[in-house]
Amino acid sequence: MSTDLEPKLEALTPQDFARGLEVFHQSLRDAEVSYLSACVRCGLCADSCHYHRAEPALENMPARKLDQIAAVFRGHFTTMGRLAPGLVGAKRFDKDMARAWVDAAFGRCSLCGRCSINCTIGIPLPTLFRAARKALGAMRLVPEDLQASVANSLVHGNNMAIERDEWVETVQWMEEELQAETGDPEARIPLDKQGARCLFTVNPREAKFFPLSLQASAKVFWAAGEDWTLASDGGWDLTNYALFTCEDDQAAAIVTHLSDAMTRLGCEVLVIGECGHGYQSARWMGPEWLKKAFPFPVVSILELMDQYLAEGRLQVDPSRNPLPVTLHDPCNLVRHGGILEPQRRVLRKAVAHFVEMAPHGVENYCCGGGGGQLAMSQYRDRRLKAGGVKARQIQATGAKVVAAPCHNCIDQLGELNKEYQLKVQVKTVAELVAAALITPHSAEVLP
Amino acid sequence: MLSPLEVSVVAAAACSALGLALLRRQASAYGVRVLHAPAAGDPAVGVRYAFTGAMSPGAKESVREHLPSYLAGLAYHAGIFTALGLLVATLCGVPLPASLRWLCRVPLILGTMGGTGLLLKRMLQSELRGLSHPDDFLSNLLATAFVGLALLGGTTWLLSAALLLFYAPLGKIRHCLFFFLARRNLGAFFGRRGVFPPGSSHVH
Repeated sequence: MSTDLEPKLEALTPQDFARGLEVFHQSLRDAEVSYLSACVRCGLCADSCHYHRAEPALENMPARKLDQIAAVFRGHFTTMGRLAPGLVGAKRFDKDMARAWVDAAFGRCSLCGRCSINCTIGIPLPTLFRAARKALGAMRLVPEDLQASVANSLVHGNNMAIERDEWVETVQWMEEELQAETGDPEARIPLDKQGARCLFTVNPREAKFFPLSLQASAKVFWAAGEDWTLASDGGWDLTNYALFTCEDDQAAAIVTHLSDAMTRLGCEVLVIGECGHGYQSARWMGPEWLKKAFPFPVVSILELMDQYLAEGRLQVDPSRNPLPVTLHDPCNLVRHGGILEPQRRVLRKAVAHFVEMAPHGVENYCCGGGGGQLAMSQYRDRRLKAGGVKARQIQATGAKVVAAPCHNCIDQLGELNKEYQLKVQVKTVAELVAAALITPHSAEVLP
Repeated sequence: MLSPLEVSVVAAAACSALGLALLRRQASAYGVRVLHAPAAGDPAVGVRYAFTGAMSPGAKESVREHLPSYLAGLAYHAGIFTALGLLVATLCGVPLPASLRWLCRVPLILGTMGGTGLLLKRMLQSELRGLSHPDDFLSNLLATAFVGLALLGGTTWLLSAALLLFYAPLGKIRHCLFFFLARRNLGAFFGRRGVFPPGSSHVH
């Protein structure tokens, strides 16, 4: 890491520091200033962080990470910080503090927010780490591979730079597979269907590495008789890595791909596939980046599947998923997204043996891949070490299948599977539902 | 008629209130973020939960796993509020029944023990010591002395009260104001997103 970062730090000019401070200061509001003034450094947040739980060290304490940022705030923007910096722990923003910010905000935090709910005071720390990341972006200190994902989205309309032809071919291939699987030659994966009720969006990883995940979602829509479509051009990729670089203008430009596709195709509901940060980006942050509410609802496919099952539009046979299944809670979907119960109701119906992790839901641990960590190769070892907490959670359940409604998490869980010899299958919720579906065709062969 | 020391305490309290008001005004000057995404839950309900259930051991792992520190903190703050109550009564010349004075000794003793315990923890645990600034030790010393000396009353206690009140807006004791603002904002944030309280999210 230092080999990449040090030349950048050396090249920083006083103007760069001034610009970083200005961006940081401008990103603060009343709430953030209250947070920066509230921490009592009790240290009780320490073990709420998977980094600290995996490697107990001062630098991994959420309060310490926050204090690196708060120290600069005190040093530049508070009276006591200027008058008695040694007393209150105030620092000037210099090369050492910029290094500390990069390490704390990018290198030791997945923005999971677990420390927020465990904070004695009630400080949502990711809010402040985002402000720091934004400032570092203004100083060109965002890790390059993370920034490259954003650049791909801005240039190509998706973060993996998949060309339109490749995407369309993948969809057509999956449509053929869907027809073969369902035995229905009329089964479709619609592209650019004007006036469809739902515009479905996916993670480009599905197109590139996990096409069966896309096929599973399509099978669910087919079985439910949903009127849906994918976009062939900009507007099919739900990811938005600018959520992690925290550069709001770029985030707004990326989320505009989705809103433009909704307008272009005349759809009523924007459906976000199984992706935590994609959900938070579109559902919660998109309107804030664009500074206006969307004229359409944004829902997760988990909510739709829950609704289909409740309405009887899907019939499932849980015995088709006989292995014990546990559920991972993606931080952006659950703790920051509020989608907690739909996936549980779905799994209780679709699998024979559902077992919760301890802890689970809002209190669940981050897998370690959030906050853009998967896109920052220089922190790979730390990421896998921090993910050990999740690995031990999974082992403790005795489950053979981990349902993870997030493709970023699936990538991290896949790596943890190898690193910690978990010997589990990692699947999306839609894959489990699709496997359990009782369709007219499959009903004929049921005993 | 107030003694010169009592006048000093009142003056320190006025300084404290003024300083905290100034800090609040400075924070307010940063403005409020206008939100556009439709809410999935009720922010007001989230705020209520943030100040109640969300602080309980059942909802917070950090409390469950650190019950001695949690209890020490509760005792410490109970002692501080008791000492503040006694200070107000003293400055106002309100005579307290002997039984009430004896009853007040319980939170004062427990508060002194709690404050001392937390100070020792900060000094002895290497991570916590590394996290701390001089302000952390000074704030604790001032507050613990104020609580402990309330058991004795008199000149030294009033002096400790004046020092504590004067210092409050200058160091981390300012959390007496910002705790409420932070927790309110936390509750509104998670309440709006349907995370607080559990099960509050609207069905889309």
